[in-house]
Amino acid sequence: MTAPIVEKVDDELWSAIGDPTRRRMLDLLLLDGVGTATSLGQQLPVSRQAVAKHLAVLDRVGLVRATPAGREKKYRVHEARLADVVAQLASVGSGWDARLQRIKRIAETIQRQQNQAD
Amino acid sequence: MEYETIERELFIEATPEIVFDVVSSPDHLTQWWPDDAAYNPTPGSTGRIVFVDGDAGDIVAGFAVVDAQPPRLFSFRWTQPVDEPAEIGNSLLVTFELTATAGGTMLRMTETGFRDMNWDVVTLEAQFAEHEHGWDFFLPRLPSYVATLVTRP
Repeated sequence: MTAPIVEKVDDELWSAIGDPTRRRMLDLLLLDGVGTATSLGQQLPVSRQAVAKHLAVLDRVGLVRATPAGREKKYRVHEARLADVVAQLASVGSGWDARLQRIKRIAETIQRQQNQAD
Repeated sequence: MEYETIERELFIEATPEIVFDVVSSPDHLTQWWPDDAAYNPTPGSTGRIVFVDGDAGDIVAGFAVVDAQPPRLFSFRWTQPVDEPAEIGNSLLVTFELTATAGGTMLRMTETGFRDMNWDVVTLEAQFAEHEHGWDFFLPRLPSYVATLVTRP
Protein backbone atom coordinates (compact mmCIF):
# COMPACT_ATOMS: atom_id res chain seq x y z
CA MET A 1 0.00 0.00 0.00
CA THR A 2 2.78 2.43 0.88
CA ALA A 3 6.52 2.39 0.45
CA PRO A 4 8.24 0.61 3.33
CA ILE A 5 8.63 3.14 6.10
CA VAL A 6 11.90 1.54 7.07
CA GLU A 7 14.77 2.61 4.89
CA LYS A 8 17.96 0.66 4.44
CA VAL A 9 19.81 2.98 6.76
CA ASP A 10 17.36 2.14 9.54
CA ASP A 11 18.42 -1.52 9.56
CA GLU A 12 21.79 -0.34 10.79
CA LEU A 13 20.12 1.92 13.30
CA TRP A 14 18.06 -0.94 14.68
CA SER A 15 20.96 -3.34 14.94
CA ALA A 16 22.97 -0.62 16.68
CA ILE A 17 20.30 -0.26 19.33
CA GLY A 18 19.56 -4.01 19.41
CA ASP A 19 22.64 -4.65 21.56
CA PRO A 20 22.04 -4.50 25.34
CA THR A 21 25.49 -3.03 26.14
CA ARG A 22 24.97 -0.22 23.65
CA ARG A 23 21.52 0.50 25.07
CA ARG A 24 23.04 0.65 28.54
CA MET A 25 25.63 3.09 27.21
CA LEU A 26 22.89 5.28 25.77
CA ASP A 27 21.12 5.16 29.13
CA LEU A 28 24.31 6.33 30.87
CA LEU A 29 24.96 9.06 28.31
CA LEU A 30 21.39 10.33 28.66
CA LEU A 31 21.75 10.29 32.43
CA ASP A 32 25.16 11.99 32.59
CA GLY A 33 24.77 14.19 29.53
CA VAL A 34 28.27 13.40 28.32
CA GLY A 35 30.80 10.57 28.57
CA THR A 36 34.06 9.13 27.30
CA ALA A 37 35.14 5.55 26.60
CA THR A 38 36.97 5.66 29.93
CA SER A 39 34.09 7.07 31.99
CA LEU A 40 31.61 4.62 30.44
CA GLY A 41 34.03 1.72 30.86
CA GLN A 42 34.17 2.43 34.59
CA GLN A 43 30.41 2.02 34.87
CA LEU A 44 30.06 -1.10 32.69
CA PRO A 45 31.37 -4.65 32.99
CA VAL A 46 33.27 -4.37 29.70
CA SER A 47 36.72 -3.12 28.77
CA ARG A 48 37.46 0.42 27.68
CA GLN A 49 38.39 -0.99 24.26
CA ALA A 50 34.99 -2.72 23.93
CA VAL A 51 33.24 0.50 24.95
CA ALA A 52 35.20 2.40 22.30
CA LYS A 53 34.05 -0.09 19.65
CA HIS A 54 30.42 0.21 20.75
CA LEU A 55 30.72 4.00 20.68
CA ALA A 56 32.01 3.80 17.12
CA VAL A 57 28.92 1.78 16.11
CA LEU A 58 26.61 4.30 17.76
CA ASP A 59 28.54 7.14 16.15
CA ARG A 60 28.26 5.55 12.68
CA VAL A 61 24.45 5.46 12.83
CA GLY A 62 24.34 8.94 14.31
CA LEU A 63 22.95 8.02 17.72
CA VAL A 64 25.86 9.75 19.45
CA ARG A 65 28.05 12.66 18.49
CA ALA A 66 31.72 12.94 19.32
CA THR A 67 33.79 16.00 20.09
CA PRO A 68 37.56 15.79 20.62
CA ALA A 69 38.67 16.35 24.22
CA GLY A 70 42.41 15.93 24.72
CA ARG A 71 43.45 12.34 24.07
CA GLU A 72 39.86 11.08 24.25
CA LYS A 73 36.59 11.92 22.59
CA LYS A 74 33.56 13.16 24.47
CA TYR A 75 30.26 11.62 23.41
CA ARG A 76 26.72 12.95 23.67
CA VAL A 77 23.42 11.37 22.62
CA HIS A 78 22.04 12.76 19.36
CA GLU A 79 18.52 13.21 20.61
CA ALA A 80 16.79 13.81 17.28
CA ARG A 81 18.16 10.52 15.98
CA LEU A 82 17.07 8.73 19.13
CA ALA A 83 13.62 10.23 18.61
CA ASP A 84 13.50 8.39 15.22
CA VAL A 85 13.90 5.10 17.05
CA VAL A 86 11.25 5.99 19.58
CA ALA A 87 8.87 7.04 16.79
CA GLN A 88 9.26 3.68 15.05
CA LEU A 89 8.34 1.83 18.22
CA ALA A 90 5.47 4.23 18.78
CA SER A 91 4.06 3.26 15.38
CA VAL A 92 4.18 -0.37 16.49
CA GLY A 93 2.13 0.62 19.53
CA SER A 94 -0.41 2.56 17.50
CA GLY A 95 -0.97 -0.58 15.42
CA TRP A 96 -2.35 -2.17 18.56
CA ASP A 97 -4.54 0.85 19.26
CA ALA A 98 -6.29 0.28 15.94
CA ARG A 99 -6.57 -3.49 16.50
CA LEU A 100 -8.00 -3.09 19.99
CA GLN A 101 -10.61 -0.61 18.79
CA ARG A 102 -11.75 -3.20 16.24
CA ILE A 103 -11.84 -5.93 18.93
CA LYS A 104 -14.03 -3.64 21.02
CA ARG A 105 -16.37 -2.92 18.13
CA ILE A 106 -16.77 -6.58 17.16
CA ALA A 107 -17.33 -7.82 20.75
CA GLU A 108 -19.86 -5.06 21.52
CA THR A 109 -21.77 -5.78 18.31
CA ILE A 110 -22.02 -9.47 19.21
CA GLN A 111 -23.15 -8.57 22.73
CA ARG A 112 -25.90 -6.25 21.41
CA GLN A 113 -27.11 -8.94 19.03
CA GLN A 114 -27.27 -11.44 21.92
CA ASN A 115 -29.15 -8.94 24.10
CA GLN A 116 -31.72 -8.40 21.37
CA ALA A 117 -32.13 -12.13 20.88
CA ASP A 118 -32.83 -12.71 24.60
CA MET B 1 14.86 3.63 27.83
CA GLU B 2 11.99 1.19 27.95
CA TYR B 3 11.27 -0.46 24.64
CA GLU B 4 10.38 -3.87 25.95
CA THR B 5 6.63 -3.83 26.29
CA ILE B 6 3.57 -2.38 24.65
CA GLU B 7 0.72 -2.28 27.14
CA ARG B 8 -2.88 -1.31 26.52
CA GLU B 9 -6.07 -1.62 28.53
CA LEU B 10 -9.59 -0.96 27.43
CA PHE B 11 -13.14 -1.50 28.62
CA ILE B 12 -15.49 -3.45 26.38
CA GLU B 13 -19.23 -3.61 26.84
CA ALA B 14 -19.46 -7.36 26.33
CA THR B 15 -19.07 -10.44 28.52
CA PRO B 16 -15.59 -12.00 28.95
CA GLU B 17 -16.88 -15.06 27.05
CA ILE B 18 -17.61 -12.96 23.95
CA VAL B 19 -14.37 -10.97 24.20
CA PHE B 20 -12.37 -14.18 24.64
CA ASP B 21 -13.90 -15.56 21.49
CA VAL B 22 -13.09 -12.38 19.55
CA VAL B 23 -9.42 -12.27 20.62
CA SER B 24 -8.76 -16.01 20.23
CA SER B 25 -10.71 -17.56 17.36
CA PRO B 26 -9.07 -17.48 13.92
CA ASP B 27 -12.35 -16.44 12.29
CA HIS B 28 -12.63 -13.40 14.52
CA LEU B 29 -8.91 -12.63 14.29
CA THR B 30 -9.24 -11.96 10.57
CA GLN B 31 -11.94 -9.38 11.36
CA TRP B 32 -9.54 -7.23 13.37
CA TRP B 33 -6.02 -8.07 12.20
CA PRO B 34 -4.61 -10.41 9.52
CA ASP B 35 -6.30 -11.23 6.22
CA ASP B 36 -6.06 -14.94 6.88
CA ALA B 37 -5.45 -17.04 10.00
CA ALA B 38 -4.92 -20.79 10.39
CA TYR B 39 -4.41 -22.27 13.89
CA ASN B 40 -6.39 -23.92 16.69
CA PRO B 41 -6.97 -21.65 19.69
CA THR B 42 -5.58 -24.29 22.08
CA PRO B 43 -2.23 -24.26 23.94
CA GLY B 44 0.63 -25.63 21.84
CA SER B 45 -1.15 -25.21 18.52
CA THR B 46 0.93 -23.67 15.76
CA GLY B 47 -0.15 -22.12 12.50
CA ARG B 48 0.16 -18.95 10.52
CA ILE B 49 -1.34 -15.56 9.90
CA VAL B 50 -1.21 -13.90 6.49
CA PHE B 51 -1.22 -10.25 5.51
CA VAL B 52 -2.09 -9.64 1.89
CA ASP B 53 0.00 -6.90 0.37
CA GLY B 54 -0.56 -6.16 -3.27
CA ASP B 55 2.86 -4.67 -3.94
CA ALA B 56 5.10 -6.90 -1.87
CA GLY B 57 3.18 -10.17 -2.12
CA ASP B 58 1.73 -11.84 0.97
CA ILE B 59 3.47 -11.50 4.29
CA VAL B 60 3.22 -14.75 6.27
CA ALA B 61 4.06 -14.94 9.96
CA GLY B 62 4.14 -17.92 12.29
CA PHE B 63 1.49 -18.02 15.01
CA ALA B 64 1.85 -20.26 18.09
CA VAL B 65 -0.75 -20.43 20.85
CA VAL B 66 1.06 -20.33 24.21
CA ASP B 67 -1.86 -20.40 26.63
CA ALA B 68 -5.65 -20.40 26.45
CA GLN B 69 -7.78 -20.28 29.58
CA PRO B 70 -11.30 -19.26 28.56
CA PRO B 71 -12.56 -16.72 29.34
CA ARG B 72 -9.70 -15.03 31.17
CA LEU B 73 -6.41 -15.48 29.30
CA PHE B 74 -5.16 -15.99 25.75
CA SER B 75 -1.53 -15.65 24.70
CA PHE B 76 0.41 -16.36 21.55
CA ARG B 77 3.77 -15.80 19.88
CA TRP B 78 4.03 -14.43 16.37
CA THR B 79 6.50 -13.08 13.78
CA GLN B 80 8.62 -16.29 13.85
CA PRO B 81 9.16 -17.93 10.45
CA VAL B 82 6.34 -20.42 9.81
CA ASP B 83 8.64 -23.45 9.74
CA GLU B 84 10.51 -22.55 12.94
CA PRO B 85 9.40 -23.07 16.53
CA ALA B 86 8.53 -19.85 18.33
CA GLU B 87 11.08 -18.88 20.94
CA ILE B 88 12.54 -15.86 22.65
CA GLY B 89 14.49 -13.94 20.02
CA ASN B 90 12.46 -14.85 16.93
CA SER B 91 8.99 -13.85 18.06
CA LEU B 92 6.88 -11.41 20.02
CA LEU B 93 4.61 -12.59 22.85
CA VAL B 94 1.10 -11.14 22.91
CA THR B 95 -1.03 -11.72 26.02
CA PHE B 96 -4.69 -10.86 26.45
CA GLU B 97 -6.00 -10.84 30.03
CA LEU B 98 -9.72 -10.48 30.58
CA THR B 99 -11.39 -9.38 33.80
CA ALA B 100 -15.14 -9.27 34.30
CA THR B 101 -16.26 -5.83 35.50
CA ALA B 102 -19.63 -4.17 35.99
CA GLY B 103 -21.27 -4.00 32.57
CA GLY B 104 -18.53 -5.70 30.62
CA THR B 105 -14.90 -6.73 30.43
CA MET B 106 -11.59 -5.04 31.10
CA LEU B 107 -9.22 -6.24 28.39
CA ARG B 108 -5.49 -5.89 29.02
CA MET B 109 -3.07 -6.48 26.13
CA THR B 110 0.70 -6.70 26.39
CA GLU B 111 3.20 -7.37 23.65
CA THR B 112 6.73 -8.17 24.81
CA GLY B 113 10.00 -9.44 23.40
CA PHE B 114 11.29 -6.39 21.54
CA ARG B 115 14.55 -6.26 23.47
CA ASP B 116 15.37 -9.85 22.60
CA MET B 117 14.46 -9.51 18.98
CA ASN B 118 16.23 -9.37 15.77
CA TRP B 119 15.25 -5.79 15.02
CA ASP B 120 14.18 -6.65 11.50
CA VAL B 121 11.06 -8.09 13.08
CA VAL B 122 10.31 -4.92 14.94
CA THR B 123 10.55 -2.97 11.71
CA LEU B 124 8.24 -5.56 10.15
CA GLU B 125 5.73 -4.94 12.91
CA ALA B 126 6.07 -1.22 12.28
CA GLN B 127 5.20 -1.87 8.65
CA PHE B 128 2.04 -3.73 9.61
CA ALA B 129 1.12 -0.80 11.82
CA GLU B 130 1.73 1.56 8.94
CA HIS B 131 -0.54 -0.49 6.70
CA GLU B 132 -3.25 -0.32 9.29
CA HIS B 133 -3.03 3.43 9.46
CA GLY B 134 -3.74 3.32 5.76
CA TRP B 135 -6.86 1.27 6.27
CA ASP B 136 -7.98 3.41 9.18
CA PHE B 137 -7.88 6.30 6.78
CA PHE B 138 -9.59 4.65 3.83
CA LEU B 139 -12.23 2.42 5.37
CA PRO B 140 -14.39 5.17 6.90
CA ARG B 141 -14.59 6.75 3.45
CA LEU B 142 -15.98 3.64 1.79
CA PRO B 143 -19.66 3.86 2.86
CA SER B 144 -20.14 7.35 1.46
CA TYR B 145 -18.32 6.35 -1.70
CA VAL B 146 -20.53 3.27 -2.09
CA ALA B 147 -23.59 5.48 -1.52
CA THR B 148 -22.61 7.67 -4.45
CA LEU B 149 -22.40 4.58 -6.65
CA VAL B 150 -25.77 3.05 -5.78
CA THR B 151 -27.75 6.26 -6.30
CA ARG B 152 -26.66 6.32 -9.91
CA PRO B 153 -29.01 4.68 -12.41
